[in-house]
Amino acid sequence: MTDLLEVNGVTKRFGGLTAVKNATFTLKKGEFTGILGPNGAGKTTLFNILTGFMQPTTGTIHFNGELVRELAPYKIVNRGMARTFQLTRPFVGMNLLENVLVACMSPRASNDKDKEERASYLLAQVGLGGRDKEPVETLPYGDLRRLEIARALATRPDLLLLDEPFAGLGSGEIEQLAQLIRRLHREQNLTILLIEHKLREFMALVSRVIAMNFGEIIAVGPPEEIVKNEKVIEAYIGKTEDAHASA
Amino acid sequence: MRRISLIDIAGAIVLVAILALAPMFVSSNYLTGVLTVCAVYGIWASSWDFMSGLTGRENFGHSLFIGAGAYTAGFLATIWSTNPWLSLPTAVGVAIAFSLLVGFPTLRLRGPYFALAMLSASAILQRLCLIFWEYTGGEEGLYGLDPLIKSPLHYYWFVLAVLVVTVIVLTLLAQSHWGLLLRAIRGDEATCQAAGINVTFYKIASLMISAGFAGLGGALYAHYQLQVSPPLFSVVVSITVIIMVYVGGIGSIYGAAVAAILLTLLTEMLRGFGEYRLWIYTLTLMLILFFLPNGLIAPLWRRLTERLR
Amino acid sequence: MLQILIYGAVSSAIYAMLAVGFTLIFGVARILNLAHGSFYALGAYAAYVLTSLLKIPLFLAAPLAVLLVAGFGVVMERFLVRPLRQSQLAVLMITLAVSLAVEQALFLIFGSEYRNVPSFVAEKLSIGGVDISGQRLLALVAGVLVLLTLWLFIQRTRLGAAILAVSQDPEAAQYMGIPTNRIFSIVIAISAGTAALAGVLVSPFLTVQPTMGLLPMVKAFAIVIVGGLGSIPGSIIASLILGYSETIVAYLISTSWTELVSLVAVVITLMIRPSGILGRRAAF
Repeated sequence: MTDLLEVNGVTKRFGGLTAVKNATFTLKKGEFTGILGPNGAGKTTLFNILTGFMQPTTGTIHFNGELVRELAPYKIVNRGMARTFQLTRPFVGMNLLENVLVACMSPRASNDKDKEERASYLLAQVGLGGRDKEPVETLPYGDLRRLEIARALATRPDLLLLDEPFAGLGSGEIEQLAQLIRRLHREQNLTILLIEHKLREFMALVSRVIAMNFGEIIAVGPPEEIVKNEKVIEAYIGKTEDAHASA
Repeated sequence: MRRISLIDIAGAIVLVAILALAPMFVSSNYLTGVLTVCAVYGIWASSWDFMSGLTGRENFGHSLFIGAGAYTAGFLATIWSTNPWLSLPTAVGVAIAFSLLVGFPTLRLRGPYFALAMLSASAILQRLCLIFWEYTGGEEGLYGLDPLIKSPLHYYWFVLAVLVVTVIVLTLLAQSHWGLLLRAIRGDEATCQAAGINVTFYKIASLMISAGFAGLGGALYAHYQLQVSPPLFSVVVSITVIIMVYVGGIGSIYGAAVAAILLTLLTEMLRGFGEYRLWIYTLTLMLILFFLPNGLIAPLWRRLTERLR
Repeated sequence: MLQILIYGAVSSAIYAMLAVGFTLIFGVARILNLAHGSFYALGAYAAYVLTSLLKIPLFLAAPLAVLLVAGFGVVMERFLVRPLRQSQLAVLMITLAVSLAVEQALFLIFGSEYRNVPSFVAEKLSIGGVDISGQRLLALVAGVLVLLTLWLFIQRTRLGAAILAVSQDPEAAQYMGIPTNRIFSIVIAISAGTAALAGVLVSPFLTVQPTMGLLPMVKAFAIVIVGGLGSIPGSIIASLILGYSETIVAYLISTSWTELVSLVAVVITLMIRPSGILGRRAAF
């Protein structure tokens, strides 16, 4: 296995605040990795940096051996790194098919001859089959997440970044979505990087965890080791105590 | 995507037939002239709608492209005295060059930069026309353009044909995958980026198309008036076009063209009001903003033909 | 040399008065006010009506004109802009409609010919061998004073702090009990008032005519883009840059070319540093 993504010394400062501090890690092809950390640990900022939506203050990012820092977000997508947003942002006024169709127009997907057919196929793949003409406005949260994933898949990614896909979902929906993600990972040999702040969903899915707190990576390892890591426990339990204290 | 249905095509054919035949029944050069201006405004309004209506990037200086096209025709005719037909493609080219000049620095940015830059650029160009009067003829403008076609009626038919082609081309583009992307850009640029779409490219390309048609309309107008003058660049021209699109229903293209024709006719009828005309226009705009945010023509047509689809 | 220094300072002061109000209402209420130039024109016409037609003494007419225009701004924001604030395009359209309506109204009432407003100060002053009209000097002094007062107001008063808070985070400010709508009214009053004052001050030495608002507004756009949308210090710095560049260009080449200065400045800014000299979001 080779390194698909290589992140080296990435730091992001906003004024006096350091949101991400010296993040260094690699992802291998076909790996399923999760970034764990309490809210405000810098996970989404790191995602935004990886996908080009923000520029790091310092540090380098190599994807497939190519330096992608300072590339526009759409260029990074067309190099094979696709993402979803924590707050789903569908195109309102369009139906489900059209929403996915937009991504089928990306240069990376240009080999697909019949774009409508492919968009329809992708919708079926994420469990939204037969609902092509439905408007997005009425879609429940869980289905919006699936739509986001279909849109990301349309760009034929090598690496899929999922930003808190389970946030705001009920336990039944979480289980279904987790199955979908697991299936995509297995069947399409997708490399997946997933953000989550709750431990439970995580452990059953990922094979490796990158734990963050206050913008820093505090531990890397398989999930069963991470749950025993003192720093991680401290970050989480400390957090809970604070929450209780302030409640 | 809303596909064109048979009833739309039937409606379009009837409307174009009425417009084309109207001068045959009421034979007057005055009416032919008014209708020619109607068709020109139709080209301007539908070209505005293609870029700004679909992508949601408000162009407040469409008169920049209109004026650029018209003055190109003026310069070609008065200074170089070339074949007048040459002015049409040249005007398109010059207008597109201007669109790149303004669009390239501003359309990659988010925020209101594009709207401000277009408004400023057209205002500044109007000033430059006055300042460099040795070349532009100042307030008087440039005189003595040759008509493209001698007969006013035949010229009207030609301009009407250009309008029809413009609306067809722009509608087909808007209904294509391309148009889908432009509407997606209107929705959310970040999501477009995440979908791997080069947002800036599509915005600039659609502005180029919009500018090209506006410049073409400008040259057609110049060859109708047989003169060009600085008010072509004025904010009033831009706002008139935007009001037309608003009345037509933003993003529908055909609505913009129909509204342009109706409002131009209305303006002619209001000629008796003289200086109050612009007031009436402004008032119309305010009323529409408050009471008909979706416009009048396109929603009305959809309502009327709902059962026939 | 001294002449450039003084004349540049006068143009800069007038530009700054226009640009600060424009950027303030954008920074606080996110309203891109295309009717800003009308405030300037209305100020000049109000001064003309009050002094030449109603024969009110100047020192009374000037504040009255400013108050009238500030009131106009408040009414416009409350009844025309606020109901449409959901849509950026609608706000742009309605403010543009207002500016056209004002221009047409002025045209219909006063005609297109130039109007004259008597000078506040008739004397000419001579500084270091350069003759400068007292009126221009007054514009400079008044401009500096207004900007200083505005700065003190925002920095030192409770109301100023509330304005700052709204500009940084309108939602949070609302939760903290700041009445954002009232703040908007106050800010548009300040914005319209400073623009009107600029109009009043220039009315004796520039031409007063219906379309006089458009070009200064275009300059205000340019300044605000160069300085950074929403940043008041940025727009003051940009006013100085633009005011002086134009004066130098007028002196070295010809006044015809001054119009190009703002265009070039905007293009360079957007190419190199699109967020402007001092970036967005920092109201003060």
